Amino acid sequence: MPLHEFDCSKVIPERKQHAVVKGREEDLTSCLPKGYLNTIPGSISERGCAYCGAKHVIGTPMKDVIHISHGPVGCTYDTWQTKRYLSDNNNFQLKYTFASDVKEKHIVFGADKLLKSNIIDAFKAFPDIKRMTVYQTCATALIGDDIEAICDDVMEEMPDVDIFVCNSPGFAGPSQSAGHHKINIAWVNNKVGTVEPEITSDYVINYVGEYNIQGDQEIMQDYFKRMGIQILSTFTGNGSYDDLRGMHRAHLNVLECARSAEYICDELRARYGIPRMDIDGFGFKALAGSLKKIGLFFGIEDRAQAIIDEEVARWQPELDWYKERLKGKKLCLWPGGSKLWHWAHTLEEDLGIRIVSVYTKFGHQGDMEKGISRCSEGALAIDDPNELETLEVMEKLKPDLILTGKRPGEVAKKVRVPYLNAHAYHNGPYKGFEGWVRFARDIYNAIYSPLHQLAFTDISKDDFATDKGFMTRRMISDVDLDDEVKNNTELREYTGGFDSVSKLHDREYPEFESQSAPAAAE
Amino acid sequence: MQETIENKVGDLLSFIMKNSLWQFNSRGWDRRKQSEGVLTKVSELLCDEPVSKETPADKCYYAEAQCVVDGFNKNFPWLKDLSKDEIKALIHQLHERLDYQTIDASLNAELTVKNY
Amino acid sequence: MSCQLKVKERDGVINPIFTCQPAGAQFASIGVKDCIGIVHGGQGCVMFVRLLISQHFKESFEIASSSVHEDGAVFGATNRVEEAVDVLLSRYPDVKVIPIITTCSTEIIGDDIDGVINKLEDELLAEKFAGREVHLVPVHTPSFVGSMISGYDVAVLAFVKKFAKKSEPTDKINVITGWVNPGDVTEIKSILKDMDIDATVLFEIESFDAPIMPTGNSVGHGETTIQDLQGTANAKGTIVLNRYEGGKAATFLEKKFKVPSVVSQTPIGIRNTDSFVHNLKEMTGKPIPESLVYKRGVALDAIADISHMFLAEKRVAIYGAPDMVIGLAEFCLDLEMKPVLLLLGDDNGGYAKDPRIKALQENVDYDMEIVTNADFWELENRIKNEGLELDLILGHSKGRFISMEYNIPMVRVGFPTFDRAGLYNYPIVGYGGAKWLAEQMANALFTDMEYKKNKEWLLNVW
Repeated sequence: MPLHEFDCSKVIPERKQHAVVKGREEDLTSCLPKGYLNTIPGSISERGCAYCGAKHVIGTPMKDVIHISHGPVGCTYDTWQTKRYLSDNNNFQLKYTFASDVKEKHIVFGADKLLKSNIIDAFKAFPDIKRMTVYQTCATALIGDDIEAICDDVMEEMPDVDIFVCNSPGFAGPSQSAGHHKINIAWVNNKVGTVEPEITSDYVINYVGEYNIQGDQEIMQDYFKRMGIQILSTFTGNGSYDDLRGMHRAHLNVLECARSAEYICDELRARYGIPRMDIDGFGFKALAGSLKKIGLFFGIEDRAQAIIDEEVARWQPELDWYKERLKGKKLCLWPGGSKLWHWAHTLEEDLGIRIVSVYTKFGHQGDMEKGISRCSEGALAIDDPNELETLEVMEKLKPDLILTGKRPGEVAKKVRVPYLNAHAYHNGPYKGFEGWVRFARDIYNAIYSPLHQLAFTDISKDDFATDKGFMTRRMISDVDLDDEVKNNTELREYTGGFDSVSKLHDREYPEFESQSAPAAAE
Repeated sequence: MQETIENKVGDLLSFIMKNSLWQFNSRGWDRRKQSEGVLTKVSELLCDEPVSKETPADKCYYAEAQCVVDGFNKNFPWLKDLSKDEIKALIHQLHERLDYQTIDASLNAELTVKNY
Repeated sequence: MSCQLKVKERDGVINPIFTCQPAGAQFASIGVKDCIGIVHGGQGCVMFVRLLISQHFKESFEIASSSVHEDGAVFGATNRVEEAVDVLLSRYPDVKVIPIITTCSTEIIGDDIDGVINKLEDELLAEKFAGREVHLVPVHTPSFVGSMISGYDVAVLAFVKKFAKKSEPTDKINVITGWVNPGDVTEIKSILKDMDIDATVLFEIESFDAPIMPTGNSVGHGETTIQDLQGTANAKGTIVLNRYEGGKAATFLEKKFKVPSVVSQTPIGIRNTDSFVHNLKEMTGKPIPESLVYKRGVALDAIADISHMFLAEKRVAIYGAPDMVIGLAEFCLDLEMKPVLLLLGDDNGGYAKDPRIKALQENVDYDMEIVTNADFWELENRIKNEGLELDLILGHSKGRFISMEYNIPMVRVGFPTFDRAGLYNYPIVGYGGAKWLAEQMANALFTDMEYKKNKEWLLNVW
């Protein structure tokens, strides 16, 4: 096994099992780090907690829901306004967050009455919202409040509301991933099958593991609608609570982030016979393949092909403009979980970028299998990285760019490596064909920022040019470019606007004739 | 000759590992079903044999298989020179190696976890 | 016509103004040099606070977790603290101070942090790290008590308690700033310098704004040293700028080491800054110099151009840290504005006895509400459903949607202010802060007039 030992982690030898270098002759039977094990205390890992995985990642993107955390106020405050998952109901779930605000007296005497009055107050404050999710936290898990009983009580008193309980306290597992698991299983156990949805198409999917970051879901929804596919529900970005109760009636589960949502697809496959289809919403080739695949499932691959042709014709010249200027750049792909495999081969294929390192902060070995399979030889793959290790890698590999989270991005900045936000994006959405061009544009802008160059000059010691008042990105990126490319009039920079999502809201979609009578759900 | 076949199987395997996701279900028993389902249909499609699309699962295997076949045809032009028997033997080997790598010799400790 | 102090009637919280105690302790910990705190609890308690701090400063600060998982929650997790201390010390050779910060989970399961620290001192530190200066500081911050504000207060006390050591008396004074921005510390230090006062500033966080250096990595960190903390016991006196963010430590120093303390008016606005410099003069015997008269004059001059022409009568809602909210309200009154709603985000029983709140209750000649244990719904519901009319909101970024939803201009103050660039550089305290605040408020109103085309022509000849 080509294990990698970090200098900074020699004192914690078990870390050696968590990093590998993908060598020429290696495959997954010899090259896979350990993963999803308990975190080493004091290592300054980047991991979060199971509450956050349940509430912040998966729960809260549901749009027409009061999200209330049963516990002290901090969990709620901390998981509010740190994400960019939108919803088309004026971002209700982004703007409002609720806590039962457990205090010392409740810890001593119980907090069930408190929770009940809270639930009622919250519904009163927002009379149009009739759905709620209650999240357990460390404190209320430890004092043992019976949240289900309280919620059943409320539902009896208020027949028009429905409440979902998610028991995923922060300590429940090695990372946020435990929370993904818990909320998946709780939803399929308690809510799926409790609503019979209206079926309006011959082609019905659940779109799963998609969180509408900066509008990703709406981009993909646009393609599906153009194909005449009914999206019964999205789990969970821009998703509606009651739509998600009807997941059992879909013909196909289209799965993006398998890390956070494969559990529900597997359960739906086992319980209702709905196939699970893993797709890539990112990248030109990968996305085209995915749309085609969904089309093939329904026998409407021609519709998929028409969209692919149209989108590729529109955006390929812009993607290629960036590709010419990004070829060979070295990049550390350091996301949370799924993007390590969603992006590894697409960045290489579509943009010629070389992935020199992948990491996952909360992923499992399954994510590493995909990531290592998809990135090129020589890449350093790290599970549950910590602060010193990432610094060591940056010093050693000297990447041109890092894709990571907001706070680690600040660390990268200080060692003069530009970063893009892999979780929330810089100027996304990044899904879809246009989105992928936006991503390329953001990468280009980060790498070729004229001021970035200046960060390497020590004005007290170095000689430096004083004959220029400015540099443009092109003055830097085009230096070594062939004239043929430079003067190619087919290629062009991104021409979409600041907002690539809102224009979809007024779009009209073709009506396809139904082969079968709109089936009343059996 | 044997080595060449092994190399060819290796190329096909690499293509799948890089471009497909269906082989990476989270549990061993699902992986076995997936590879059986998809690769059977890959073989049928490559051999111009009828492909069943009766059940939802069949349809899903077919869709995945067709995408694999499209990729194979595009990237491995030598495939069309093979006879049906050769193709079947090749995919059989591919199937064995895929199962070995992703299931039987896999280092992924979660494949045997009892529930999802 | 009255000022009412009330507690929020609802139990729960709709959009919280504050986070919980461990966050305050973590913020205090990053102000200490060669210090990395270990938060004893689930990982989210650290991960999110680090994110929050980095949202505010656009910097990353180092704080560790003991990563309590399921088994720890069931069987006790003190072993996680032991391991965390070992791992941290082994990999960070410069670390000298490790506060062990508790959370709701580890307080409920009853982990004996003080006991673990004793054990670690006797064993790990004495054996594996013999000869290395290491201090472990217990900080008890259960999340279900108080708020981030009291967590900060508790942590400052814990640091002072741990280190303060009586030796020769010095001419120095202690200045406990409370949870402020680097810009505030710069302003305070400039006043101290003008008055030629040698002071220990707790905490020294000016360097939080770390540069990108050609030489490589530079991490933002505090500059308050162990020696600074030790010396607090020998100071001439302690001045606390924010009663609820450092008051406990001052009281401790007074009781234990007879260091007299003054809980100053929070020096927001001209009048409160006057009181602050007066207190400095009283404590040190140093005169108030001409340079401060000049700086004060510059501020008064700037304010004269805007207060009665533009700011007068403007109705303001203010939320956030209690001392800051009270200070801002007082300053707004001096600016002829009408703070109509003050929201304090926790349930500190001491607010009713706060002389500043009493003064408001006794003297305000229009309707003002002060709500404690407040959340943002106390503000939004009044606007949305009860007809509250506002011209301006003062508070941190978590309230940004109220401003946008109801088209009320807002000036970002306090923590966090992640949706505006660089605000941590600017003071809200001192004469400089008074000037900057007044100008910010005026500019916010001007922009609003222009967007709404509401007498925007007024500014043609200003």
